[in-house]
Amino acid sequence: MHISEGVLSAPVLLAGAVLSLVGLTLGLKKIKNEDIPKVAVLSSAFFVASLIHIPIGPTSAHLVLNGLVGMLLGWSAFPSIFVALVLQAILFQFGGLTTLGVNTFSMAMPGVLSYYIFRKMIHKGKNAAFIGGFLGGALAILLGTIFISVSLIETEKSFTGVAATLLTMHLPIAFIEGIITGFVVIYLKKVKPEALG
Amino acid sequence: MKRSFNPDNLLFVIPIIFFIQILSIFISSTADAHKVSAYAYREGDKILGECYFVDGSACKNSKVEVYNTKGDKILETLTDEKGKFSFTTKEKGELKIIIPAGEGHRAEYRIEGIKEQVERKEIKKEVLKEEKQSKSNQNYLDREEITKMIDEVMDLKLQGLRSEIMDLRKQMDRIGLRDIFGGIGYIFGIWGIIMLIKRKRNAS
Repeated sequence: MHISEGVLSAPVLLAGAVLSLVGLTLGLKKIKNEDIPKVAVLSSAFFVASLIHIPIGPTSAHLVLNGLVGMLLGWSAFPSIFVALVLQAILFQFGGLTTLGVNTFSMAMPGVLSYYIFRKMIHKGKNAAFIGGFLGGALAILLGTIFISVSLIETEKSFTGVAATLLTMHLPIAFIEGIITGFVVIYLKKVKPEALG
Repeated sequence: MKRSFNPDNLLFVIPIIFFIQILSIFISSTADAHKVSAYAYREGDKILGECYFVDGSACKNSKVEVYNTKGDKILETLTDEKGKFSFTTKEKGELKIIIPAGEGHRAEYRIEGIKEQVERKEIKKEVLKEEKQSKSNQNYLDREEITKMIDEVMDLKLQGLRSEIMDLRKQMDRIGLRDIFGGIGYIFGIWGIIMLIKRKRNAS
């Protein structure tokens, strides 16, 4: 889920940039020094995740892991995802430098929302933590597709059409990432509970 | 509770890397990727091109829009099953080909106009030379016919070269391990710098 350069109009790009800037400053302020290795690792996980493609019917979609990043970092997901997106744009030409704002916001914000909705659940028992992680990971993907569809509202003719195709394409991704996030959460709970924040 | 930096913080990398590795083994990466690239060349009035995804697979049945230097849309066509497209145009200037592949993906390619004319002149010179020769041989062939013949021979000769260029382009667009590891290195570097800055601020 990356929007390429030249697709969006200036007002949409500007709105995305402003929203992301708010998230970035909030995120950078909230990062504690000792959390930075964690942020960096999740940054690179997000960076690599989009190279893993899962064939769905005639096309394919790639992993995003924004739910995992969000669940583990909260607002710090913004700078974490931003850094990864900058490098994806430069090295892989995924997305683009002008669309960084829009892409950052539509990937990081769902993660942050997942964090606030499910963060209580992941501190409960093992089963509840897994379910919380699963739902958080899956929700972040689904919200991400909706955010992307909203930003494409001007370019593509029908919002519901784009949203529907993106959603169906990403349902399997949401499922897989839910499982990944769930397992990471219970693993961390066992090995390093304080990393769950 | 104040926590100090502890290398154990990195422990949870293991499951993430593990998952990613398992997934990348089982999931074929041959399916369509999401970055779209386009390439096109002129052949007289005809323009031939190809559109493909980052992994080299074809971009099927996609819309192709062609714009001239003024930015007006001249024509619109579709790619075929192999991701190829062709159209004829009288435009001599630079052409911009845009392929909107949907859901926020887009490829752009520019074809220069002037170079082609230079090539044409060279061909014409050759044609003139041959014309003289054939005239001296009392074997008159009209100019158009010779041009056509040369074009055919050239096409045959250039075909291999063209497909080679295409393969090279696809290879260049493919993402290599170097990019991936380089990117991860950059990410750690950037976060290292952020950490240093934060630490200095906290100290002062």
